[in-house]
Order: sequence, then C-alpha cells, then structure tokens
Amino acid sequence: MLPAAAVFHFPWEIISGSIQEGESVRTFGRLVSYQSEESRATLSAQHASKEHNVVVHTLFVEPFNPIIGAQYIVLGETENAEGVGVMIRARLMNCVDGVNIALLQKAINEQRRFFRERECKQAKDAQPADAM
Amino acid sequence: MAKTQAAAVEDPAEEPPSAMWGLDPVFSAFARLFVRDILHMTESTQVPGIYFYNSHPIYKVDVLGTVVYKREREDFFCYGVDDGTGVINCLCWKNDRLKEEEDPNKSEGKHSDAAQGAFSPVIELKKLKQAQQKLCCLEIGELLRVRGPVKTSRQQREIMASAYYKVNDPVMTAQIAWMMEVPQLYRLCYDKPLLHSATSVTALTPISKAKDIIQTFFKQRSVSVFRPYDVQDLLQPLISCQTQTTSVDEEPVAGPSVCQQLRQLLRETLEILHKEGIIYRKVKSQDEVYQVTAQDKDLLITVKDIIREDSKREKYAEKGCHILHILSAVRQRFSLNVNRAALERVLKSLECNSDIISTSGDHYTMF
Repeated sequence: MLPAAAVFHFPWEIISGSIQEGESVRTFGRLVSYQSEESRATLSAQHASKEHNVVVHTLFVEPFNPIIGAQYIVLGETENAEGVGVMIRARLMNCVDGVNIALLQKAINEQRRFFRERECKQAKDAQPADAM
Repeated sequence: MAKTQAAAVEDPAEEPPSAMWGLDPVFSAFARLFVRDILHMTESTQVPGIYFYNSHPIYKVDVLGTVVYKREREDFFCYGVDDGTGVINCLCWKNDRLKEEEDPNKSEGKHSDAAQGAFSPVIELKKLKQAQQKLCCLEIGELLRVRGPVKTSRQQREIMASAYYKVNDPVMTAQIAWMMEVPQLYRLCYDKPLLHSATSVTALTPISKAKDIIQTFFKQRSVSVFRPYDVQDLLQPLISCQTQTTSVDEEPVAGPSVCQQLRQLLRETLEILHKEGIIYRKVKSQDEVYQVTAQDKDLLITVKDIIREDSKREKYAEKGCHILHILSAVRQRFSLNVNRAALERVLKSLECNSDIISTSGDHYTMF
C-alpha cells in the first residue's frame, strides 16, 4: 500500500547507473527543458565542474507549471528507458527555487555519514556476540 | 549479525524494567527518530505500545516528512509520510471544527458584518479556523509535521497523531535543518546508553556508609546524647572490610593502624553530621558530648517558645520571625553552638507537626 521510501541521491549518482532499476529515489536539479508532448523534463546539476542531466518522466505529475531555470525536487522510481538510459518516473515534483543547494548537499552527506557510522558501530558491537 | 541483535533485543530480560523507564528523559519526550528506526523498534513485551530504540523506552515520536500517500475517511486522514529513510502511516483525526466547516449553511448570515469593514471577533475567529483547517488538510507532495504515540495495528506501525500540521517550506529550510539536527540528537541522546540508576553512578563512600550506620543507630535506640566512643565500635566493620579489599600484598607497607583509621573515619563522619545539623554540641568542653538534634526536646521547646513569644511582638506580628532572628535568640537563651542547619531541622519537624507555620521561605509564626 505505502510506496517505498525515497532516499536522497545526487543526480550524478543516478545517471552513473549505480542504482538498481525500480528503486525509489529523490533528487534535485535545475529544470532545463520540458517536452510536454513526451511528458519529459530534464533536470541539471553541477558537480565536479561538470553538468549532469537527469531525465524525468512527468506523466504522473501533470499538469504542472514548468519554470525553466528553477530548482526542483523530484521523487519517484528509476527505470531504464530506451535511448535515454536511466530515467526517473516522478510521483512528485516540487518547485523549490531559492533552495540552498550547497547546504542541502551538506545535509544529505551528514545524514549518510551518520548512518555509516552507526552501521560500523553496530557491526563492531555485534562481533563479540557472534564469537560467543 | 542481524539475527543475534534481534534475538538480544527480543529477550525480555534485556528490556530495562518498567519501573526504570521514567528515569529516561527520552521516555516522556517526543523522540525525533528517523522513520526507518520507528518501523524497526522492538515492541516491549511488558507493556504493549512502548517501544525500544537502543534500550531507550519510547512511545511518542516527532516526524517531519513528505506526504506520499493519502486516504480520507469521515473522521480522519491517513497520510503516508516519507522522510527519506522510511514511510509510515499517520492517522490524523479531523477535529470537530474541521467537520463543522464542511457544513456550508452555518456561516451564511454572518457575512454582513464583514461588509461593513469593522473589526469583528467572529469574522477573525472564522478566518483563524479557516487557516487552521488549511494546515490540517494536506495534498500529496506537501510537507507534514506530526507528533504522537506509535501504534501497531494489523502488524503495521503507525503514528496516532496527537498534533499535526502542514509545514510551508518553499526553499526546504525546515527539511534541511531537520536533516542536520536529527543525527546530532541521535549522537547526543538516542544512541547513548541509559544510565541505569543514580546509585550506581555515585558509589557509596565509607563516610556515607558510616553516616547511615550512625543515623540508623540514633533512630533505633532513640539516642539523644552520646559520646564518640559510644558509636566508634559501630564503624568497625567498615574499616576491616576496607583493609580486606586493599589486598594482602600491601600489608607490610607502614600505614595508619586500624585504630587510627577508625578514629579518623569517625571524626570525619561526625564533622559531616554536625555540618548537616543532625547532631550538635550544646556545651563545648573537654568532655566531648553530642546532642542528637531530632531527639532534643529542650531545644524543640526553646524554639517553639521563641516563636510563640516573638510572633506576638508588633515587629514580627505580620510576617513572623526570620530564621536568623530565631537563631540568635536560640544562641542567647539555649546554646551558642547551635548552627543554622540544626535549627532548620528543628523548624522543619515543628512545621511537620503543625506547631509552627512558615509564612515565607525563611519566616515562621505561630497562632
């Protein structure tokens, strides 16, 4: 009934193909183009002095008011589309123009660091129990 | 690995006893946990409806997340809230106001007031209600803050919202702040083990043990006057047990003898008892005699007399006598060596017997 949790991923992680198809993700980017007849939008983000473009299928969130150049948050499932590569089928697309992207990235990294540290700690704590 | 962990938590022996739960500050707070952790907390075997995160007892949580699922019933909304780590159902009751607003005929007649442009509390209240209603009715994609107890119904965790509202977060400031804050809360609080009890933290020192022994002796025998050598033998077990614990190897080292240690301990203990006003010396002389404050009827009567007489005087009639005034009177009439702590104990016991009344923190009177 409830959809899977949409975990934050950076746009460059999504297009690198490291995420399994069908996984729920959320990501951000600047809307650079929108083809309404194909229900296809492109979000773009800069990382390591490179532009990374993520293709978003917008059928489920239409009609929406596309503001070219604005920051968007998209939440949906990844799928491999022919000719495009990885595409996000959006269930949610919110305009968040004015967002502090650097701070958002920091928050995402902070959350990941926390989970990593905790898993490390749990693994360490569990080891003596295994030995017994 | 995961298996052993789960087994360890499920074991009821691992659960802290329910009497201890209240000692954990997290217990009475709305815990800001990640949804993932709320879904995976183990339920208590002692009391259903209580959950454990890292042996912290938890029953109410505080969550901020995006609504990704919505179902409306007559009495409540059911929102699926996604915080990026998990999705949880939140049962949000519609309040009576919200239901009233759905009745359109009610508000018709009142519009005439608004047309006049005058300030009308009725209209303002209506506006307020409308604003409130707007914050309670969310659409998919909007941000929801919800707090309330965690419930498990049909094997599904959900939050029974005791409070919920829509958060306007156009540039994600609230979400980013939340993402930064929650890991910090985990590090400072939720991931730290609970300190089990206050007594285990402050280990009992020989002096505090000696104090307890002497005080129980006073109570059991109703001692009112004693000399140090009367209680010296009582402390003997503390010293011998100390020397035992310091192990046999150290015995050749020349140190204070058992007798000296005993006297030292007694002296320190009596000093503390004196400082706290539990005992005092009425007369300071060669003969070391101590009075037990609680058992000293003479002192009690003297203090009562002073308050009775002086609260009749015009100066003290209204507010009663100040503790320092009583202290100086006691020193004049009774003994120079009574300290404030001892007097406070006497006043407290008089007040407990309703012999005197405290009119403010430091003033006492009698009728």
